[in-house]
Amino acid sequence: MKKRFNPIKDKSSEIIEYLMASPDIPKDEALEFKIRLSVEEAVENVVRYAYEGGIGWLEAGTSLSHDGLTLTIELRDAGTPFNPLDKPDPDITLGAEERNIGGLGIFLCKQMMDSIEYRYEEGCNILTMTKRIEN
Amino acid sequence: MEVTIQTQEGKTLVTLNGRIDTTNADRFQQDLAPLMQGDKPDIEMDCSGMEYTSSQGLRMFLMLQKSVMARGGSLMLRNMRPQVREVFDITGFSNIIKIV
Repeated sequence: MKKRFNPIKDKSSEIIEYLMASPDIPKDEALEFKIRLSVEEAVENVVRYAYEGGIGWLEAGTSLSHDGLTLTIELRDAGTPFNPLDKPDPDITLGAEERNIGGLGIFLCKQMMDSIEYRYEEGCNILTMTKRIEN
Repeated sequence: MEVTIQTQEGKTLVTLNGRIDTTNADRFQQDLAPLMQGDKPDIEMDCSGMEYTSSQGLRMFLMLQKSVMARGGSLMLRNMRPQVREVFDITGFSNIIKIV
């Protein structure tokens, strides 16, 4: 399933809830927690930064592999080309004084999902995250 | 997210209930404002009712920890749910903030 949201300003919750209601996501509390966190961070990234003033669209979708064991979440937007994976991971060994506030969102996606990939294609940022679904 | 703050024998007892996400992170920051002042605060937070936090919630915990340290105080989080604890663990926040 997929849906295009336009405009996306202040629509984070609506987009997140649309994705989380997908029948592709198993009703498993621990898995849903990880997927929700990743979805929220990735959607927020687009809503906040992709377009000047949030005036633009985001296409959000989920799918399952043929064997039903791998969930894919894809976000596509036509905003400023930006690869969130280029950002270095935060140094999680630093103490509180040295830690920067922020920079944790995409890091959490990387930790919570099994894979996360970015590509720029036909004028669109495309972020694809996958999660293996345990039986 | 519901935040209740009580003072008892010099300790500040805070109870967190619900979820900290993109819809309410700003309000959570406002709710924490009373904890951002005063000398040598001694703050204990009961996190048993905290169901979820995104990176925006983590930011608030880091801000609070920095503020408490700068004032020579202490912050302790108690009774965190395992899934929330995992978020604190993988981001290194468990090393920055005392969790029991």
